[in-house]
Amino acid sequence: MASLNGYINQRVLLILQDGRCIVGTLAGFDNRSDIVLSNCIERTYSPDEPVEEVSLGLYLVKGDMILLVGELDTELEASLDLSQQRAEPLQPIRYGPD
Amino acid sequence: MADLSAQVQEPFDLVRLSLSERVFVKLKGERSLTGVLHAYDGHMNMIMSDVEETILMVEPEESGSTVQTMKRAMEMLFVRGDSVILVSPGAR
Amino acid sequence: MLIFSVFKTLTDQIVTVELKNDLCITGTLKSVDQFLNIRLDKISVVDPEKHPHMMAVKNCFIRGSVVRYVQIPATAVDTQLLEDATRREHASTHKR
Repeated sequence: MASLNGYINQRVLLILQDGRCIVGTLAGFDNRSDIVLSNCIERTYSPDEPVEEVSLGLYLVKGDMILLVGELDTELEASLDLSQQRAEPLQPIRYGPD
Repeated sequence: MADLSAQVQEPFDLVRLSLSERVFVKLKGERSLTGVLHAYDGHMNMIMSDVEETILMVEPEESGSTVQTMKRAMEMLFVRGDSVILVSPGAR
Repeated sequence: MLIFSVFKTLTDQIVTVELKNDLCITGTLKSVDQFLNIRLDKISVVDPEKHPHMMAVKNCFIRGSVVRYVQIPATAVDTQLLEDATRREHASTHKR
């Protein structure tokens, strides 16, 4: 069904409940959509400064915290100039999931 | 209204009687919907058509806060039940 | 179960998913599961200027619990069928 199967070993973008964006290689997942990411990088967006990238290493992200997992087009990704991108950070979810 | 309350023994009976009727739905995040109800389940997940959404935007200002409303129309909509606060038959 | 079945019939339709953080994503519905997690293909973000974060993302997995709405093409659903199925499900869960 709507599983994360096809994303194993792919470069993915995670968007979290608090609005954070993390890019990494999907090393594994379970049926609660807990996710293990290797070589991850957090991307911080701001309206008047370039996108900041911070290396995080190996992460396990709890499924409850995840909004979305997106498969990255690596060619398109490589062609993007993050130093030119300006944007407000994504909004966190302001009321709980229940 | 008397015969309606006789038919309603459980909360969900009221929702069932609203099938194919226009309903008012209040949601978390200062949102509300009116639309025709076509399906629901025990989580209050719903499918509605001819939906109008109203969003209340409260902007705090020095001299009290101002409230703006924004409206949006959608032809067919699935609404996740965990955002639902109340369902009322007969949209105002 | 009923809503899950409805979503299964919507496979390959173009839908717009609105998340609880106000992000709106349009794409082709590829699959759903029992939690109403959603796989979307050929996605685009509704306001790309404001949300460039997903520019290089071609398909995505959305967690069901963070969905606020899914906008469905009206032509893709038979409302009479939906209402009948809902009444049946209501009767079976409120057995009397």
